[in-house]
Amino acid sequence: MTEPRNTLERARVEVGLTHSELWFRYFELGGMSTALEVEAYLYDALAPTNHDRDLVATALNERFAELGGDHPVAYTDDVLDDTDR
Amino acid sequence: MTTVYSGRQVVVALHGEVDILTAPTFACVLDVLFDAGRRDVVVDLAELDFVDASGLGVLGPMSCRLADGGGILTIRSPSPMVRRILDIAGMGDLIERGRPDPNSATLGPEQHSGDDSKPVTGATKSTDGAVRLPAFPASNEVIDAALRLVTALARATIGGADGVSVSLSRHGQFITVAASDETIAQMDRDQYATGQGPCLSAAAEGHWFHVESLADESRWPQFVPRALEEGIASILSTPLIVSARPVGALNIYSNTDHAFGPLDQELAALFASQASSILAEARTDMTTDEVAQRLRQALTTRQVIANAQGVIMGQQGISADAAYANLRQSAKRTGMNVHEAAKAVLASAFHDDLIGQVRR
Repeated sequence: MTEPRNTLERARVEVGLTHSELWFRYFELGGMSTALEVEAYLYDALAPTNHDRDLVATALNERFAELGGDHPVAYTDDVLDDTDR
Repeated sequence: MTTVYSGRQVVVALHGEVDILTAPTFACVLDVLFDAGRRDVVVDLAELDFVDASGLGVLGPMSCRLADGGGILTIRSPSPMVRRILDIAGMGDLIERGRPDPNSATLGPEQHSGDDSKPVTGATKSTDGAVRLPAFPASNEVIDAALRLVTALARATIGGADGVSVSLSRHGQFITVAASDETIAQMDRDQYATGQGPCLSAAAEGHWFHVESLADESRWPQFVPRALEEGIASILSTPLIVSARPVGALNIYSNTDHAFGPLDQELAALFASQASSILAEARTDMTTDEVAQRLRQALTTRQVIANAQGVIMGQQGISADAAYANLRQSAKRTGMNVHEAAKAVLASAFHDDLIGQVRR
């Protein structure tokens, strides 16, 4: 099986979240897209808004943090907000 | 909610209802009290009409946290109905049996139950981590509970909504699984009885039906007069779609005509897709219990984050997205997650208010 191209999907596989658990976490953070839409973002079938993309990234990063890691998934505004690196 | 300090004890009195919308605020107040070192907390429910799972979800963990810290959470004066809910939830032990601590008698609010003089200690004895939310007997009921949460949220969020319901087709028959009140449930039943109406049309055709002004409506001739009689003036029905198939509808009713604008339609579509997701998720890799549990938690967290976002917007005069980015950055900086950062924002916003009450 080939490695997924999408950064978010690669991260999801790495932290071992199911699509539905990722959707719950995304929804919990305030996301308004459906589970199917979020899955579509991960397969590059739909383009998320910056806000939605960042919510998925936040959900993944929080999972990385729970596992003792850093926040490896970049946010869309990281270019502007690079003070803490 | 009012908070009264009396000696070492603090009495938090609740009014109205504790539900999915008010529970996060209640939870924050308890958190602030805990963080302030308060270990003797009385929650006075004398004025409370109703408590749902989200309220129990606040009381249960807080009583454990207090018990772990050598403290005690006591529930005072629940109505018979609330008492029953607490009993079912395994939280009956938290209910105050006797007088509160005599130290507090002079400063405390009116004492509601004073004739029984058993000591208050021991009330939380058997709760050591064992408080559980009620288990639902059947899977459909769990889904319905989750859908009721969506209904409540839709009604609170959509401006012109006077009532919201979710109807589903089960075994070839339509039933209303969640309705904000009896009139709305009746509106749905009238549609099932006449075989007509925007709800049934949306569920059958898989796209939304918007009745801007019921008085000028010519579709559904048998249903419309019944709705007008009940004072309904506009309706927005959005289909619920699972696996590309319509399975029911989210119905929003208003007593005002032209109540729903484009934004409301968009919100209705979002809530309908959330409801659809619940139904779809329920059929896949999680048990319905897990879905309902997870959804309950997710909705509560969402509300905390949204409240904190609002506080930041108000304090700094910035947009919703900027407030969110702000929250996320401060979470990242402090090593918290966004939910914890949001709670911290709310806690500091409530702090001044609580301090004010201590001094009074």
